[in-house]
Amino acid sequence: MFLRKRVWAALMLAALVAGPLATTPAGAAGTMTVSSPQDPGSWDPIDTFLVNWASVATNIYDGLTYRGPDAKLVPGLATSWEELDGGLRIRFHLREGVVFHNGEPCNAEAVQFTFNRLLGEEGNKGPQRSNYTAIKAVDIIDAKTVDFQLNKPDPVLLTKLAGYGAMIVPPKYIQEKGDAHFNANPVGTGPFKFVSYEPKVGIKLEAFPEHWGGAPKLDKLEYRFISEPSTAVAELQAGRVDLVIPPTIPIAMISTIKSDPRLDIVTTASPTVYALRFNTGNGITAKQEVRTAMILGVDRQAIIDSVLGGQAAPIASFQGKLSFGNDPQMQPLPYDPEKAKALLKEAGVAPGATVQIDIRGNDATFNEVVQAVASYLQAIGLNATIKPYETNVLLNDIIPAGKTGEMFQQSWGGWTLDFDNTAYLMYHTGEKWNPYDSDKELDAMLESQRSITDRAEREKILQSIARYAAERALEMPLYNLNAIFGVNKRVKNFTPVPDSRLRLTEVTVE
Amino acid sequence: MASATKQLTYRRYTSIEFLLGTGLTGTICLLVLFSDLLFPGAGKIDLSARLLPPFITMSHPFGTDPLGRDVLARVVAGGKISLMVGLLSVAGAVVIGVIMGLISGYYRGFWDMIVMRFADVQLALPFILLAITFIAIVGGGLRNMILLLIISQWVQYARLVRGSVLALRDREFIQSAQAIGVGDLNILFRHLLPNLIGPVIVLMTLNVANNILLESSLTFLGLGVDPLTPSWGGMLADGRTYLQNAWWVSFFPGLAILLTVLGLNLLGDWLRDSLDPTGRTSK
Repeated sequence: MFLRKRVWAALMLAALVAGPLATTPAGAAGTMTVSSPQDPGSWDPIDTFLVNWASVATNIYDGLTYRGPDAKLVPGLATSWEELDGGLRIRFHLREGVVFHNGEPCNAEAVQFTFNRLLGEEGNKGPQRSNYTAIKAVDIIDAKTVDFQLNKPDPVLLTKLAGYGAMIVPPKYIQEKGDAHFNANPVGTGPFKFVSYEPKVGIKLEAFPEHWGGAPKLDKLEYRFISEPSTAVAELQAGRVDLVIPPTIPIAMISTIKSDPRLDIVTTASPTVYALRFNTGNGITAKQEVRTAMILGVDRQAIIDSVLGGQAAPIASFQGKLSFGNDPQMQPLPYDPEKAKALLKEAGVAPGATVQIDIRGNDATFNEVVQAVASYLQAIGLNATIKPYETNVLLNDIIPAGKTGEMFQQSWGGWTLDFDNTAYLMYHTGEKWNPYDSDKELDAMLESQRSITDRAEREKILQSIARYAAERALEMPLYNLNAIFGVNKRVKNFTPVPDSRLRLTEVTVE
Repeated sequence: MASATKQLTYRRYTSIEFLLGTGLTGTICLLVLFSDLLFPGAGKIDLSARLLPPFITMSHPFGTDPLGRDVLARVVAGGKISLMVGLLSVAGAVVIGVIMGLISGYYRGFWDMIVMRFADVQLALPFILLAITFIAIVGGGLRNMILLLIISQWVQYARLVRGSVLALRDREFIQSAQAIGVGDLNILFRHLLPNLIGPVIVLMTLNVANNILLESSLTFLGLGVDPLTPSWGGMLADGRTYLQNAWWVSFFPGLAILLTVLGLNLLGDWLRDSLDPTGRTSK
């Protein structure tokens, strides 16, 4: 009943949106229309942690550093930087002649203003501040040079400066117009400038030819917020949308899009990884052999090939191949049901022992995956049941309070692509996502890498953390899901990005 | 006189509503009851046989779902949960609602006020909010889901019945029954109830279908059943994303709901006609 209502609402919404658009078809020269599943509600960088904020705002704002589709960190508004005082101070040299969309110059003052705002009272209201607390203060050396003073070295800081809360904002504009106005009328230094925003409907941008990186090739960029996947795909098929960005397209609809000669599916590895984590505190999964047996008993590759249509990669630890800390040498445990049965027998688990798997109720694809997992567990003699929860209940009550069944769903993916963001929160004693386990050795490793800025040494520690967690079988690593884009073939030069931070400067339309 | 009644009874049991209604409902109930015998291992997942179209192989006449399970077997097995939720929740709501409606309509005054204010409060709460609160307090599971549906739907019947009672209670036949000293219980159940049961039956048949679908929506909130256990509503919801390339995943459970509701509707029509004290049989 409610499903129906939602579909209807989406259809009506689509009809409403389609009305005014009919006068300006997406086919107009140099205009591209993008379907995004969510309206973040505010365009202020410090107000959000939604990836769909970034898929729009990456075109409006610049950071001091920039990270493109290849996940490599390059200069942004800062042309170069150097570490001073053993990593406790970073000096940035700013790009000359950069202006905001409203004509304001982008200089050291703007950088200082941005971070004072982020770390001050205004930033405290939003979710971004906590990512940047390593910064103590920003000092202006001259108009083109700033020093970041740090409380402690933060090895991931330079990456974090490339997105979200660290986007440089115009001081005069915000002081004059106020925060509420800025939320709905963003101004940055990015390649596209803001034109109009209609909540729940869409946002329109146009090229900013004075951008320091050169003018973008598109004249206009329009985003429409379409939350219902079937509606988004129908709009793509009808040619009213040129690009559907993740997370929208369900695996089940890929073949529908591929069969349309005018459309294409473009994918790339995303940061999002899925695992079924174990209750290591009680029940049969408290024993490490049982956990290992359960991992051996599930054919993860077969699930990827069939249920996920190949749109995922197997993982050996709780991170994807793009993650800093991933060890390509590490192999996932093989599928070996015989060995699994033997291990279970050794551990004294009686055939027919029950295993409850807690999942989010609203994830249709994962729902299928977990049913397949349950049937594999059935085959090695465990009686698996699945318990769906409302997402917020599972995330905020069941997991943190340690009230899960033997296994529970964890999907995770940080845009910084750094394993610390996953490992520390999953494995360190007392963390919200670690309700059951406490391992002193693991804690020590996790803490040690946090203050090391030497990349190679840190990577080694992160890799050994991943190996240690895999040896203890703390979770059943399932897969690293692809970011799936549906695109009209009239769009040229489109490069899929792993982290939804989509910058469409090189794209052209026919 | 005797032969007229007999003829009426005969006509009653040969009416098209009765025959089709019992035929459909009976067949579905029998299939569902014996589903374990008919289709042992209905939940068997076979990833190598995903999304086989229907009417191609003998082993999967209705095709297979995204996990390679036989759709026919799942539809038959799925009736267990769906019929249980649909029928029990409606039965519970009808019993409570009708009794409450009769009492408040017939006695008016204090009891009327209590029941109807309670109903107002109930109607002011959105269903989803009620559902989430309910889960938070008593937890999920099939039994709790049926309880929730009863709690949220009895008001409809109470309101409906109360309105009819208000219209009927001052009619001559009730007054004359009261005048010759017929007891309240007798008046309520022998004189009032048969005269207002028609609309209640219509509402019941509508709600059965509604609740079969609600069962799957509630799964999203964590009130539902294990996804491994098939149910019609759940199968419909699962098949939603496959509509464009595998219509059979949701078509057959939808057909099952349709046939069940059709059967119950026909039975309901027949029941209404049979119970109608004014003696009008179906045309």
